[in-house]
Amino acid sequence: MTELLLDPNIRLWVFLPIVIITFLVGIVRHYVSIILSSQKKIELLQVQDSQVMIRARLLRENGKYLPKQSFAMRRHWFNNEETGYFKVQKRAATSQNPMTDPGMMTDMLKGNVTNVLPMIVIGGWINWMFSGFLTTKVPFPLTLRFKPMLQRGVELAYLDASWVSSASWYFLNVFGLRTIYALVLGENNAADQSKIMQEQMSGAAMAMPPDPKAAFKAEWEALEITEHRWAVATAESDLLNLKDEY
Amino acid sequence: MINNYEELSFNEAIDLLRQWREGNERKSEDIMQLWLQVVVSDLDKIGNEKYLVLEQVIYAALDCHMFELATMCIYQLAMDFPGSLRVMRYNAALLEAEEKYDEALEVLDRIIKSDETNSVARKRRVAILKAQGLITEAIKDLVDYLKKFMSDVEGWQELCELYLQVQEYSRAAFCAEELILHQPHNHLMHQKLADIRYTMGGMENLELAKTYYCQALKLNPDNMRALLGLFLVTSNLLSQYKSWGAGGKRAEAMKLCAWAQSRARRPAPRDKRPPAPQLADALQALAITD
Repeated sequence: MTELLLDPNIRLWVFLPIVIITFLVGIVRHYVSIILSSQKKIELLQVQDSQVMIRARLLRENGKYLPKQSFAMRRHWFNNEETGYFKVQKRAATSQNPMTDPGMMTDMLKGNVTNVLPMIVIGGWINWMFSGFLTTKVPFPLTLRFKPMLQRGVELAYLDASWVSSASWYFLNVFGLRTIYALVLGENNAADQSKIMQEQMSGAAMAMPPDPKAAFKAEWEALEITEHRWAVATAESDLLNLKDEY
Repeated sequence: MINNYEELSFNEAIDLLRQWREGNERKSEDIMQLWLQVVVSDLDKIGNEKYLVLEQVIYAALDCHMFELATMCIYQLAMDFPGSLRVMRYNAALLEAEEKYDEALEVLDRIIKSDETNSVARKRRVAILKAQGLITEAIKDLVDYLKKFMSDVEGWQELCELYLQVQEYSRAAFCAEELILHQPHNHLMHQKLADIRYTMGGMENLELAKTYYCQALKLNPDNMRALLGLFLVTSNLLSQYKSWGAGGKRAEAMKLCAWAQSRARRPAPRDKRPPAPQLADALQALAITD
């Protein structure tokens, strides 16, 4: 079977442009997202909640160093049926529907504008502009399974699977330029598209914001069953026992 | 310590400044010297680190009463970051150093108004009130602050000191207990609670003081203040027990008293002390579940 020869113009007008376009689009997206990103404003109530949670946890863990009375006093303050902090503080359950929260809406919109839209537009444009070219060949033989991955847009049943079509070359670039971006823009840049795709996959599970009400309830329960064993009680005898060691 | 800073090269000076900054070393006079003799002329060479150095220099200048220099540095920062809350905080610090307390409070209030979660500004307010000698107001402010930022160790510590100043011992004890909750392995916290309990007096408090002095000594056997405290508490208790006639407790107090005396008498062997054997136990106790 004779070796396939590619027109050198393909290298100049298809192969390199795709690399350059994907790279530049990534850079532009990085800076656009910097412009659009809004500093997330933390609310005082959120800070207070988290600090209360920390304090309750510390009481659970280190309460054994306090005298029993002090421990009981603090637990009473948290857990008392009528006036306890966890009982009195009524936090509105965080809105389950993000559509009701305008701040969340704009965030989602911004995310779409910077991430999803360019992906569709550029991807579509590249598919249309450079469709049907074979651009390069990977230097090792591949099995037939790789054909749909590497030869998108070129449906030739008898073509060797090592050949890469232009549309696939675009996708390879999208995923492969990550380290280059890290080199150029530094870590945690916004240009990386594969990361966004991963986030979209697992996004459904993570989007749930922490619900203070549930957290309070859990902490209340944990505190309720905490038993107080005074860790300092044996300090005197310990001290007398170890006096010989020094 | 090097005293001839003018011999340092620019890069060495910057490195030294960074080292101090990261180690939280104040060293205001040294920073001032470095700044005036080496750094100031070509500050623009170091890019973004310039701002960190400027911040460092501002505090150093305030410490050394060089208000013009501080003003200049703040002005430079304000030019590059217009409207920044962080720069406003330095403004407040400058006003505070010049003892223009009311204006400083005004600036801080403005910061808090635009960013409610700015804990540093809130704490600064308390500090200003304390500097003016308005202890009760400072306490009120600090209590308000702690209601919102409950796990701020520094806040609790300061509140403890303030309560001690106005002799509200039981409240101070509460704060000291809070400190123990946050740092159960710091012997100074246990010692502090014991000090307060001992000052409060009364049988129960003395017993508690004894226990916590023992805990402090367990964590650090070289804590001389705790040793003295233990001695005082136990001898105090001994005289009390005589009238109460508690056999077992009296014997233990006696033993502790004697131990504290003998321990305090000998010089602390600083160099060749073996690593504390109870360290492993303490680490074990660190585990959440036991």
